[in-house]
Parts: sequence; C-alpha cells; structure tokens
Amino acid sequence: MDERLRETLSAMMDDEADELSVRRLLSHENQADVRDQWQRWQQVRDLMHENHGPSYGVDLAGAVREALDGHERPAPVAERARTVAVSYWRWPVAAMVVMALVVGFGAGAGWDAQPDEMTDVLASAGIDSSNPALLPSAVEEVALQRLDEQQLRQMRQYLLEHAQHNSVGAGRGSVGYARLVSASGGY
Amino acid sequence: MVRGLTLLALAYLLSVPGVYAQAPGEVGNAAQTEQAMAWLERLGPALNMTSYQGVFVYARGDQVHSMRIAHRFRDGRVEERLVMQDGGSGEIVRRGMNVVCVLPDQGRIRLDEVIPSGPFAEAFTSQLMPFGQWYLPELVGEDRVAGYDVVTVALTPKDEHRYSHRLWLEKSTGLLVKSHVRDVDGAVLEHFQFTSLEITVDIPDAEFEIQTRGREITRSLDVEAARQSPVGRMSGWTLNWQPEGFVPAAVPRSGKGKAVAFSDGLAAFSVFVEPVTGLKMPTGASRIGATTVYMRELSVADRPFLIAVVGEIPPGTARKVADAVSIDDEMAREWSARDH
Repeated sequence: MDERLRETLSAMMDDEADELSVRRLLSHENQADVRDQWQRWQQVRDLMHENHGPSYGVDLAGAVREALDGHERPAPVAERARTVAVSYWRWPVAAMVVMALVVGFGAGAGWDAQPDEMTDVLASAGIDSSNPALLPSAVEEVALQRLDEQQLRQMRQYLLEHAQHNSVGAGRGSVGYARLVSASGGY
Repeated sequence: MVRGLTLLALAYLLSVPGVYAQAPGEVGNAAQTEQAMAWLERLGPALNMTSYQGVFVYARGDQVHSMRIAHRFRDGRVEERLVMQDGGSGEIVRRGMNVVCVLPDQGRIRLDEVIPSGPFAEAFTSQLMPFGQWYLPELVGEDRVAGYDVVTVALTPKDEHRYSHRLWLEKSTGLLVKSHVRDVDGAVLEHFQFTSLEITVDIPDAEFEIQTRGREITRSLDVEAARQSPVGRMSGWTLNWQPEGFVPAAVPRSGKGKAVAFSDGLAAFSVFVEPVTGLKMPTGASRIGATTVYMRELSVADRPFLIAVVGEIPPGTARKVADAVSIDDEMAREWSARDH
C-alpha cells in the first residue's frame, strides 16, 4: 500500500478523508492489505479509548507498540493519542460505513474493482466540480459517507422506489432490473 | 469462470475512452436520425418478444452487479428467470403476470425489496414517447457485443437538463444488449451490458424453474392499478417546473405511494414529498453513477416537509425540480393539526 492510500485510511479514522481519496482506496487492488491496516489501527484505537477495559490498561504503551509492530508510521498515531487523551475518540460513523464497503467488496460480492479503469469512472461519477453543467457550485454535494445508517436507509428506500418506477416505466427491461438490484444491494 | 470473463470484459470496456457524440448543432444528418429512430422503435417490442439467455453486468458508481437471465416469449406470454451472480444467491421467476421471488439466506441483496410491485414493460411500451424532440438520435456505428452484430445509437440531449444515452441494439432483433448513460464530457456514469448472450427460442423449460431453495414470495402484477391516472397522487403539492418533455408517467404504485414519477421516454425521475418525522436529511445532491438524489427541506405553516428528487438526471436538474415543488397550505395545515 502506498503512502497516499495509507494517509487516506488514516484520515478515514479521523473522519477527514475526502470522497475522491476514499474511492481511490476502495479501488485499491489489495483489499486484504487495506483491511489488515485498518484492523491494526482499530486495535490501537481500542487500546487508547477512554473506556478501555482494565486488561488493556496494564501495559498500554507495550500493547500499542505491539499493535503497531510492522508498520512504519508511528508519528501520526502518537499525535492522535494526544487528541484522544483530551477528548473521546468518537468512532466516526462515516468511516464505519466506508469500512463496511471495503469489507463488503473483499468478502461479499467478490468484485475487486479494477484500480485504474474504475478510478477514472468513479472520479467522474463522484465529485466533478470542474464541470459547472454537471454540478453547479450552487448544488451542494452530500457525500454518502457522511450519512448515518438511518439516513442511508432512507436514501436507499428512495433509490429503490425510483428504480421500481423506472424498471417498468421506461421500458428498458433488464436495465430496470439491474437498477433495482443495485438500489437494494448497495448504499 | 463466467465471472472472471465478465470482469475482464468490464475492465476492458471501462478502459476504452468514450468517443462522444457530436454536439447537436454540428450534424443534422436527417437520414441517420431517421434510421436511428427506426431502430429505437424496435427496442420496446424487442425487449419482450425476443427469446434469449445470457449474463449481463450493470455498473454505476462503485457498484457492479451481474445477473443471469433467461427470457422466453411463447404463446403471447413472457417467461423470465433472473439469477443473481454475486452477493447473496437469489432469483426472480416470472410467468406472465406472476412473479416468484426466492430470497437469499444471507447476503447484501435484499430480494424482498426487489420484486417489482407492478406490471412490466409491455403495459407501457405502447406509449412510445416522442423523445426525438428532446434528444438527437443518431446512428453512430456498428459493433459487436457478446458475439452479436449490433448498431450503436447515440441520443444527445438538446438541452442541459438531461444526460446523453448510448444504446447498442442487436441487428436482427433490435434487442438492447448494451447501454451507457453519459455526462456532457462523455464520461460513462452507468453501464449495462450483456457479456454472454444467446438469442434463441430453444431454451429448455428447466431454465424457467426455480432452482434456489429458500423462502418464496409470490406476487401477482396488477395492471389496472397502474393504468390509473398519476395526477391524483400528486395531491397536496404542485410541481411548478420540470424540464420540457418530462410528463407524469403511468407507473405502478410502490412503497407508500407518495412518489410521482416523470419520464421523457428515456430518463426518469421520481419526486417524493413527505412530512419530516424525526429523521433529518441533509440538503444537497448525492450521486450514484447516473442517478442523482437531491433532497431539501421545506417548511410550510411551520410544518417541515422533505422533498427528494431521485433520477437519472444531472444534479443541477434535480435541484431545479426540487426547488419547484410547492406545498399546498391545506396539506401543511392538515399535518400541523396532526402534530398537535
């Protein structure tokens, strides 16, 4: 995994990743790597969480070192540790949703997006502020990653109902079915 | 094996840069347009009356799905079976107006939501919309898709309120075997394509039998309900603007039935108007491939309502539509009264 992706993952932990980099991460060819890295950091997070159990409290520094073992970016983590000390490490909802997607791609559907080709398409399907006709500055983009579980469910319901209209109304046959399945299977 | 091939095919296709249709003003080849229209007229009937089996892939945003389909038209009746190829196992079997859905035990695709709650295309294909008024149809070439010779029809919008579409139709039957929805830059936002296809009437009956074991849901499609005027359902609110050519579509009622769908014959959007009950939604547009979801809140007589526009239209269009919804005072008062 290259530095840029690692940074994205790190930013996701803090709920600071922008949508494009998250998409890039999602299309990374080695999803197992991404998952492993995420899990290591999650361990770190658990260890540092204010509500950590007594068993974790015994040797925090040692346990953190252990969890970090094998990855070479201790500085930001240490920095994060300081942040945690003063405030709750609130689990970022958006990051969780994104992680569900990452895990879903790796374990569920069996589709690992093709890194290069997909990114091109995703980039255009995602944020494209350079094109005023498509996304006028007056139209605010709501990143799906920023929605909570209930909001995502509501949005999925809208997508689904629309797809049902579409599947039969527009007379496109299989395309309509595909939109339906897509609407119910995804976000 | 099939999945591997599918993936390869998809990767290849996505890597081919889109050759974009010429701008409307530049061409005006009347003969070509006429030819393209002739092909498009075959599309609707072909979808139902062609018998075929194959696997298709559908991609939008970062989602990719593939489904296996067998479709047979015999004695005036459509038989169809669709099997999910990824995610949870599950299938949809349809015989005429009866649909049976087998749910997967697990997996992300929830088939109970997938059952179309209304009639299929044939009830509507009679109303072929004059979409030539809002798109410039052109025959842009010939190609091969899934082993079949196809013609490629480009539909370029004449205004900025729509996306452009590209359709690949099999030459001998007119069957839609591939389609793109593209933005003004030619970037592909939504991609549908058969990766394997056999057009044949010789499909064994077994192909139309349910083969997955699991919970079954049966539903009969109601044609009459769909034929009711959609205007009545737009009660309590008014849409003061929509892009020219989009008319309320006669579609089956689904879900809570608060939505009204509009179609210009190619693209469609649905408008939802609901009183806000607890759940707050952010204002703005989200995009999944070619599909835009635009939401905003509107308060009338101190009663907040959520307006959502969902469709295969650009975000700017979705926003203009959402902004053009006005809620009747009476509906607002009614809901306010219920609150207290």
